[in-house]
Amino acid sequence: MTQDKTSAPDGVVRYVDGAKVLDYLPHAFNVKPSSRYYFWLMAPALIVLAAISIYPFFWLIWMSLHNVGSSAGETFAGLKNFEKLLTDDKFWNGWILLFQYSGFCMFFEIGIGVLLAVILNGNRFENVLVTIFLMPMMMAPAIAGLVWYYLFNSTFGWYHWLLQSLGILGETSIIGSTDTAMAGLIIVDIWQWTPLITLITLAGMKRVPRDQLEANMVDGASAFRNFVSITLPNIFPFLLIGIMLRFMDNFRFIDVILALTGGGPADSTNVLPVYLFDVSFRYFKLGRGAAIALTLLIVTIILGKLLVRVFEGPASKRTDMGS
Amino acid sequence: MASRDVVTYKTPLSRLRDVAIVIFLAFYLVWTIMPIFLMFVSSFKDLLAAFQLPPVGAFSKIGLFFDFTPTTKHYYNLFYNLGFSTYLLNSIAAAGGSALVSVVLGSMAAYSLSRVDFRGKADLFFWIISTRMAPVVAVLVPLYAIFRGFDLVGTRTGLILAYTTFNLPFAIWILKGFFDNVPFAIEEASMVDGSTRFQAFRAILPLVAPGIGAFLVLCVLFAWNDFLFASIIGSGGAKTLPPATRELVQPQNIQWGSIMAAGVVTTVPMMFLGLLIRRYLVTGLTMGAVRE
Amino acid sequence: MASVTITNVWKYYGKTVAVKDLNITCEDGEFVSVLGPSGCGKSSTLRMLAGLEHISAGDIYFGNTRVNDLEPKDRDIAMVFENYALYPHKTVYENMANPLRLRGESDDLIKKRIAFASEMLEIEHLLQRKPMELSGGQKQRTAIGRAIVREPKLFLFDEPIAHLDAKLRARMRGELKLMQRRLGTTMIYVTHDQLEAMSMADRIAVMHNGVLQQFGTPQDIYNHPVNEWVAGFVGEPPMNFIDCDLVDEGGRLHAVHSSFKVALTDAQTKILHGSLREKSVRMGIRPDQISIKAGTESGVDGRIKLTEPLGGDTLVNVDLKGADELLVKTNPDFNGGIDQACTLTFDTSRWHFFSKETGVAYF
Repeated sequence: MTQDKTSAPDGVVRYVDGAKVLDYLPHAFNVKPSSRYYFWLMAPALIVLAAISIYPFFWLIWMSLHNVGSSAGETFAGLKNFEKLLTDDKFWNGWILLFQYSGFCMFFEIGIGVLLAVILNGNRFENVLVTIFLMPMMMAPAIAGLVWYYLFNSTFGWYHWLLQSLGILGETSIIGSTDTAMAGLIIVDIWQWTPLITLITLAGMKRVPRDQLEANMVDGASAFRNFVSITLPNIFPFLLIGIMLRFMDNFRFIDVILALTGGGPADSTNVLPVYLFDVSFRYFKLGRGAAIALTLLIVTIILGKLLVRVFEGPASKRTDMGS
Repeated sequence: MASRDVVTYKTPLSRLRDVAIVIFLAFYLVWTIMPIFLMFVSSFKDLLAAFQLPPVGAFSKIGLFFDFTPTTKHYYNLFYNLGFSTYLLNSIAAAGGSALVSVVLGSMAAYSLSRVDFRGKADLFFWIISTRMAPVVAVLVPLYAIFRGFDLVGTRTGLILAYTTFNLPFAIWILKGFFDNVPFAIEEASMVDGSTRFQAFRAILPLVAPGIGAFLVLCVLFAWNDFLFASIIGSGGAKTLPPATRELVQPQNIQWGSIMAAGVVTTVPMMFLGLLIRRYLVTGLTMGAVRE
Repeated sequence: MASVTITNVWKYYGKTVAVKDLNITCEDGEFVSVLGPSGCGKSSTLRMLAGLEHISAGDIYFGNTRVNDLEPKDRDIAMVFENYALYPHKTVYENMANPLRLRGESDDLIKKRIAFASEMLEIEHLLQRKPMELSGGQKQRTAIGRAIVREPKLFLFDEPIAHLDAKLRARMRGELKLMQRRLGTTMIYVTHDQLEAMSMADRIAVMHNGVLQQFGTPQDIYNHPVNEWVAGFVGEPPMNFIDCDLVDEGGRLHAVHSSFKVALTDAQTKILHGSLREKSVRMGIRPDQISIKAGTESGVDGRIKLTEPLGGDTLVNVDLKGADELLVKTNPDFNGGIDQACTLTFDTSRWHFFSKETGVAYF
């Protein structure tokens, strides 16, 4: 019988189910290797990032509390800029339009995008088609805006001609009328970004464990039931990420709007970031602009936190629970 | 062994469905390609032909679109009269430079974040990614003011730095995921063999090289297509293709031919890049949440 | 309950042939195992039976019905997948209920059937858990339960116990066999483990590279393998193979090898005289059909290369004169050491001769 030479306190050897069990901890735990090396390695990147994000952030705060503009010089203004926002119609309108714009785009992009993905999955020409379909995403939004401006133009635009010939539109261009301008913008966004939803959905569909689909088939499900009860729950996390990202990207990219409508006609497409652009770079009311920018940033951060929570969620976890 | 996809059985209903699918796909294909195609064709039309439209409702006259004599004078105009060769170079320099800086700094930071653990790591991470999510318009003003103070407005360096604003956090976020997939055991083995920690880091770089390559390309894509930064911070000396194209839209005389040509010049390289990195597009555009 | 008839079935994946001209008939209530190494076509066969793959050529009948064009849901089968394929978002109860719900059965019936199945499989206490909370063995029983509640005509099991640890596998072999007996449902069971096939099946279909090698009872396959490959595949430890020449001495054939010359029996001589074309054959003999003694006595001389004591048996690797080596299974009292001389005796009534050219067995 070998002698147990351990630093065990007395009487801590037990037997459970016929096997020997030890309950105590060693004296000294493993010491973690020094992390200083890693901190040095990430320092340059973090410094650059801080310079580019934290510094401007404080500037924004400073600017929002001052009257910064071309004429008044820089005098302290307290919360006046924010107060003015409360009664600023264009400000509130900007938020409403922004959420409308993002919301509608999202709605259509998901409907068409998922439909397309379902059709393409397993299709003979899937690869070729997907490659072609992703071309609109490669175009610079500013350029896309210009091309669609050309297409929507009431004098020489071919798309306008088509819409007019089909009786959908009258003589005014789609972006020339307050009723339809937003629709025009949404169309362009759908054209450019639906393929992204399709790609995401396809990626998710390929991750659906084939076993479960086949087991359901053997159990007695038709192709449609299979899609609803097995595929959909599995791709839902991916879709969610795509939705949120697209929603937030519409807060960031105003290139298309600037090219097509500039916020008009009559503020019907004056979403908040466009208004911000006008205030800061056309009217040079930098103090007010900074205040608007801060509100935009806060909302973005809130949405971002939600997004990150979804990131850490089921999309990154394995879904095959068989083995 | 198994068939590539779950097998299906043909029924009369499914045949009908197949026809409907073909029609839908055909429509969608045309819808997708049309604006790009139009841009291409229009870039070869002279001004008069570009404005030709059939009368409303005359569908039979659609062929009018193709009724023109192609000319390359717009491209010529772009490069010889309008200075687009400079703008092209600016785009390449700014996009390439920013991609390089972002990937180099980013991979170092991503690697560190992947290997080290500390309290507040999640928060740091969130801050990094939030810089990517911030609306450009919001940070543009302070950035402009800062850059002006350092005389960086209108310089390529300034633009590169500006693009790094969104490319760097993006690189850190994605590349960390790649490093996470490389087991630390490989570096430990390398260190047992006698390398320093940095050499071990270099040793695992080939394993993440394809990912790094792909994200280099993605950084180029985002920087190249940017409009706001280029027009505000790059204006003057470092104008890139998108704002330059926009400027061709003058109130009195919109030079559509040149605009279309500029659009082609801006878009074609990116379409090639898209083909190259197709596999990584989803990962890149969803910030790594969805891996293909 | 139904019989299964597989007639001239082929399976192609593009240009690759996975199953070639397969013919198997399985009686109603029989337990048939399809045995073979990876890539032999057994899984493809099972999936064709299930309807998860199209049949490239040939026909499959369940009873009198031709099922080639039937969807899986119309074939009245139940399948247990290698990785269980449980639905992670449903409880064990709902996983088992799924096939019944899809057919619109009443809640009462569902409850009754699940109670029966879960009692038989001893998982009644797990009904409200989700797959993520189960161990491998519990997941496997849930998958089996899902198959049982259907009360189908045919069970299709695809290597269901492959991913369990060794002790559990051994236990499940017995339980599955009992279960099939009790339920009386026809079962087709795919595996690469010959021990499973031998212990559980009524008949075994041995496949290799898409071709059915032999279809018979476990005893048939073990004692009368039709070719060298089957002989080497079935049986653990595996059969020994030695090449030897045949020499006619006084009307009786002898097997001649550099270490021995052994006479064949009359029956064996008669068979070989009838069909033999070659002068040398491959001899096969199972490790448990050789006896070994340490030291030098009368018999075949050899030298001990390695001994492996297994507790209930001891395996001995013996070097013969010439380059051949034999594996012998003997009782644990054997006390020979490495490099010691030893003597072997063959049980010649149980050895097998195979053609060196084709591998087909003479006997």
